[in-house]
Amino acid sequence: MAKSSLDKKFDQIRKREEEKTFSTKKRSRIVNKFLNNRLAVLGLIIFTIIILASIFAPLLSPYDPMRVDLRSMRQPPSFDHWFGTDSTGRDVFTRVLFGGRVSIFIGLGSAILSAVVGIAVGCYAGYKGGWIDVIALRISEIFMSFPQIILVLLLVSITGQSLFNLMAIFILTGWGGMYRLARARMLSLREEEYVQALRSFGLSTFTICYKHMLPNALSPIMVNITLSTAMFILTEAGLSFLGLGVPLNIPTWGNILNVAQDILILQNYWWMWGPVGIVISVFVLCVNFIGDGLRDSTDPSQQG
Amino acid sequence: MLLVISFLVYSGLELSPGDAVSHMISPELASTITAEQLDAMREAYGLNQSFLTRYWIWLTSMVQGDMGYSMAGGVAISEIMVKTVPATLELSMVALFFSTILGCSLGVISALKRGSGTDNSLTVAGMAGVSIPEFFFGLVAILLFAIELKWLPVGGRLLPHYETLWDRIPNIVLPSLVLALMMTAGAMRYARSSMLDVLAREFITTARSKGMPEWRVNILHGFRVALTPVVVLIGFRLPLLIGGSTIIEQVYQWPGIGSMFIRSVRASDYPLVMTISLMYVFVVLTASLIIDVLTALIDPRVRLGKE
Amino acid sequence: MLASSVFYSIGGNMKKLYVVIVAVLAHLMFISSASAQPTNSNQLSDPRVRQALCMAIDMKTIGETLFEDQIIMADSLLPNGPMKSPNLPDYSYNPEKARQLLAEANWDSNRELDMVFYYGDQLTADFMAAIQAYFADVGVKMSYRLLQGDVGAQLNSVPDDGVNGPAAVDYDLGYGARAAIAMQEYYNTFKTGLNPQTPGDPKMDALIEKINSSADPEVLKPAFFEIQEYQMEQVNICPLYYQKLFIYESNKVDRNGGAYGNAQYNYNWGITDWNVSGGTLQTNTGPVEFFEQPWYNLGLWIHNKVVFDRLLVADGALQPVGCSACESYELAADGLSLTFKLKDGLTFHDGNDVTVEDVAWSIRTAMKAPQMHALIGNTVGSIKGADAFKDGSTDDVSGIKYNIADRVITLELTKIDPNILTTFTQFAILPKHLLGDVDPLKFQQSDFWQMPIGSGAFKITEVKMNDFAKFEPFDGYHGGKAGFDIIAYPSYDGDGNLIKNAAAGKMDYGFTKNVADVAALDAMDNMGTKAVDIPYTRMMWIMQYPKP
Repeated sequence: MAKSSLDKKFDQIRKREEEKTFSTKKRSRIVNKFLNNRLAVLGLIIFTIIILASIFAPLLSPYDPMRVDLRSMRQPPSFDHWFGTDSTGRDVFTRVLFGGRVSIFIGLGSAILSAVVGIAVGCYAGYKGGWIDVIALRISEIFMSFPQIILVLLLVSITGQSLFNLMAIFILTGWGGMYRLARARMLSLREEEYVQALRSFGLSTFTICYKHMLPNALSPIMVNITLSTAMFILTEAGLSFLGLGVPLNIPTWGNILNVAQDILILQNYWWMWGPVGIVISVFVLCVNFIGDGLRDSTDPSQQG
Repeated sequence: MLLVISFLVYSGLELSPGDAVSHMISPELASTITAEQLDAMREAYGLNQSFLTRYWIWLTSMVQGDMGYSMAGGVAISEIMVKTVPATLELSMVALFFSTILGCSLGVISALKRGSGTDNSLTVAGMAGVSIPEFFFGLVAILLFAIELKWLPVGGRLLPHYETLWDRIPNIVLPSLVLALMMTAGAMRYARSSMLDVLAREFITTARSKGMPEWRVNILHGFRVALTPVVVLIGFRLPLLIGGSTIIEQVYQWPGIGSMFIRSVRASDYPLVMTISLMYVFVVLTASLIIDVLTALIDPRVRLGKE
Repeated sequence: MLASSVFYSIGGNMKKLYVVIVAVLAHLMFISSASAQPTNSNQLSDPRVRQALCMAIDMKTIGETLFEDQIIMADSLLPNGPMKSPNLPDYSYNPEKARQLLAEANWDSNRELDMVFYYGDQLTADFMAAIQAYFADVGVKMSYRLLQGDVGAQLNSVPDDGVNGPAAVDYDLGYGARAAIAMQEYYNTFKTGLNPQTPGDPKMDALIEKINSSADPEVLKPAFFEIQEYQMEQVNICPLYYQKLFIYESNKVDRNGGAYGNAQYNYNWGITDWNVSGGTLQTNTGPVEFFEQPWYNLGLWIHNKVVFDRLLVADGALQPVGCSACESYELAADGLSLTFKLKDGLTFHDGNDVTVEDVAWSIRTAMKAPQMHALIGNTVGSIKGADAFKDGSTDDVSGIKYNIADRVITLELTKIDPNILTTFTQFAILPKHLLGDVDPLKFQQSDFWQMPIGSGAFKITEVKMNDFAKFEPFDGYHGGKAGFDIIAYPSYDGDGNLIKNAAAGKMDYGFTKNVADVAALDAMDNMGTKAVDIPYTRMMWIMQYPKP
């Protein structure tokens, strides 16, 4: 029996879909909108500068971040030492750059990895339901029934302090939120007409889920990744204040800022904590601006 | 759920290096204490029993309402909770109060003057508030207001000879304000967007078209409708707040549940760690249950039944 | 040495041959330093390596910069004083010599030494970074880490075989300290089978025997000289510096002639005569959850010092100088019996009499309670019948005899305890009528420690756990009545809030070992500090057993 013209049309669409020849013109509109948000653009620029500066730290500074020079300790900023030196005569500027590598790696890395885990599980479980969903939901509930900092403290004391333990803990505590988010979007998207239509075309679950529904759930997820990055960087700093963060021999922003605990340093040696405090705050602020910009440009209901 | 979590936490503690006895001995004196003495102590504290036996003992007494005793000092945990929970609640409630007032009013102003310089600078300021590490903010506040200007005390909750409520207020000002400022941005964002949402609705346009003065429109219709969800949402931030106050408690020597938790985790004081973490879990679970119900009411398309 | 690189590529019996050849070569080349070669597979067992590590650290510069010139250079475990040998080898900073020694010892420059420490403060972390840099300068790789969890076991596990190992700990170097009241305490842990880092050695054992054989300083002096020289020749630890103790006081406090001394312990500081303007002395080391019992950290907490009374009293250097709660005392000429007569009319803060029965009960309980300072543990353990009482075979201790009516108690010892009088300057008398029913093993868990009662100069009148504790002068104290109250704020693990509180006028007295605190306190108008020399040696442990 010959196919109706409508069927043919659907088949064409399906074919193009499978060949992945659909272009996503829609994205450029989002980019345009994002670019119109001055704060977000400013955030993105500074964000990029800080990241590049950290990555190319060895080119930007002639010093070794671990190089101790006791005879030139606590020197105020000068031409040789832009941010001065710390209590062991190490160059603060260099340490801030190298600390940025670790802190950004922890923050961004944990956020992206926990998003990957959370989304992979959340999309599938949310769309498909069934026992996978039940188990994943229960596990995420266990992790989410603690206030974040409390769970992190508990886990740090169990596993001990190290860079990778900390990242693992961040991922462990962070994936639940992403999972919930992805799942909730999926739950409400799968009732949408277009998904029902796709299903009736007979597309595979995998394709519907990750190809058609995920992009529609992506904007809140991107926003969430940026917000988690900011949060993880701040948590790292908070943990080093409690003495439970990254071991003190690794320079991170949190560890460098931690010298402010000493009131004498806080009062008299502003360069030892001021620049790093500003860099952390500015970086987190930029990340927040970017997140905000993303939210505004992707969320049609918010015409801020 | 609580049962599973309690078992997981207990196993986690079991895996962590060191037990309560090893923490009671300071490293400087450790070499002078013999292995027999340590074993005798472990026996006295019941730490030589198997892991499951200890968990079972803990669980059964917990079910009977007996929280047990802190290992380090043998103090009844119920007593510790009675002392620390009100301190944390006090701090959290005051901070919540400040942040709600501040957040709502700034959020509404921001919404009414959408796009203006005021709106933009408030948004930036709010974001800056959440971008500063809280301990750092707290320390700088101490340096400024307690040490340089000497307006407020550096920390502590109850001080001798200060038993009346009035005398206790200065102690809570700094920690609660610092905590509140960190939370204001969130409240402000909620308030702003739900106010914007409401302002775009038809009944406001109708009210305006009837010639009602702008301020009356805003107050009578706008605020009321917009702020209801905001206040509900802020209410649910309480558990977050209780967890979030941990670092501020530490900075301001506030004798609350957060600083007690850090101490007990460091000392591997199992009974205390267990009780406090379960209390946190209980608070969070209760709150999230209510949130679930409310979200279902708001968006009927989300199914609650979880299949 | 070329031979050793070949060494690894050859197996079986040839290996043994090469070991012999290497050993002979080494012996021929370094005949000047007699035992300068590794004694086992761990290169750290080579004295030349240990010497090089010591010489690589520029303690003088570190002292002048990081430690703000507030430390004393160390050249052996023993603090400076009459017992210090004049003939100690010089291991001060000498990087060329260190490099040369390492080259002679054929140091494996790929090996990364694992350094551990247990102080979580910033200054220690900075110090570690400095040592790391100095080591790198002579070609030794080192990484450092803060110990967590069961620190005692990780630091102090002793190998089953106290001579040949293998090691029961997994670090190479450690940064730590030894505090001692008695000089013997510095060396006793080097006995074969007791030391986690240094393999046993018969010569060391004999020297330790010697320093414990008498209570007469003139007899002990040459013995201490010998053991110091031997240890520093072996360099089985690297002494870094002697710690000073810093007592800080606000300008509200006038000691009125009262002495300054080792404030970690109890000494005659004349607190009842102090003038405190405003009538309230604010301090730290108040309780967080409970008051710690006073037999463990003898004078660390404020309540240790002021709430309890002791039989004897010591001076600032902790030498016994006379009676506190006793009217008279007598140590027998052979050192094997000690008699106290208690002052008449002493009472606890609750009005009950202090009797020799309280003293006897306190001593008996100290035999069984687990958290006990070594000084007290040694003394009560040398009383006749202590062992039988400990293992439960008797209910009474045969070496404790007392008569309540005469207020006399006599202790008979099985062996000489050179420090017995010092012990009784630190040993708090606790009330039997309040604590008599407590299981000694769970001594600290008694309700008593929520608001303890003693017979000292101050009684506790108000406790807001974790907020503050208030102490008021006690009328019945035999040493007179103080004219001020004490408020103690909680602190533990060192006082992280000290500088904040002092700057805000919330601190009138206390002590610290943290030189960063001292610099900050000295900078304040309202605070002053006073340095006190104490027997407290900071050192680097070197793990010389073969690795498992």
